[in-house]
Amino acid sequence: MADLSTQNPCGVAQRVATALMRAGGGTTACLQMPPAPGDAADTGQIGVDAPGFLSLPLSPAVFRKARATLQDGKLPRYELLVSADAVIAQVAQLKLSSAQALFAQASGVVVAGKLFLIEAVSSSENQGTAYLYRLLLQEAAGEWSM
Amino acid sequence: MQNAKDTFYLTLRNRLAIVNPARTMILRSVTRPGILVEDAEAFTAQPQLDAFTLRWTGLSADLHLPSILAQMTCEIRYTTAGTQANAGLDRGRALEKMDYELLRLLYPYSAQKMNCTQNPAVSMSTLVFWSEPDFSPAVTDHDRLSRIAKVTVFAFQEPSES
Repeated sequence: MADLSTQNPCGVAQRVATALMRAGGGTTACLQMPPAPGDAADTGQIGVDAPGFLSLPLSPAVFRKARATLQDGKLPRYELLVSADAVIAQVAQLKLSSAQALFAQASGVVVAGKLFLIEAVSSSENQGTAYLYRLLLQEAAGEWSM
Repeated sequence: MQNAKDTFYLTLRNRLAIVNPARTMILRSVTRPGILVEDAEAFTAQPQLDAFTLRWTGLSADLHLPSILAQMTCEIRYTTAGTQANAGLDRGRALEKMDYELLRLLYPYSAQKMNCTQNPAVSMSTLVFWSEPDFSPAVTDHDRLSRIAKVTVFAFQEPSES
């Protein structure tokens, strides 16, 4: 049976999440996004041209080591908690359909000058609206400073 | 050898645009035929659905010829979850469609080798040629169906490539 009770979303969960991110040592993470328009040349598809990724800042965010046990020979995994307010702002700016579309286009995330690969994305919701995004990251093998 | 790999990919991509113009994907802000080289794109945790992904694996060389003959194994991977209109219940049919498309992409089994690092690409002296595909059994992963087709690609190493 459907829940027909009246619920008026007022954004309190988003504001609390943003405040907690900020108070919990909030940092800035930068999504690596392809430029628009992209490189349509053949050389752009065979690894010759530099991709020219753009840095898209997401803040506040909290970065921490994931609970998963470290395994021999495997790169460590981390998780990034991002305020939904930050994500919504970038989704609107890029005129994308959803946060999932934003993360699907990203080739990675740079935190504190280090590149991480996105393994999975999930969100926490309140009254049907996301207030927090959780990205599971794996350290990139390349030791580039970004 | 890189020129042979590039030629193989671009040949298949151009043929796909003719065989099935509707099979496109958006990758790095560009709408292009649904085929990509795995090692020339960013890491993704999930395979690209309804597109062909080329993964280069094996390599051997025949050194007893006037020119070195390189043999490279290319795994062509593809995955589908069917279509939204059929709620994914047509994923078997979608995979079969991709099987047939791949057969059409690979024939004829040769192409003029090109140096694609220049724009426009420069034609080289020899051909790149390849074997018929060796299809692996389809693999089911929840609501997705995948297959790998292995192709051996042959190319002579030209003096200008050294």
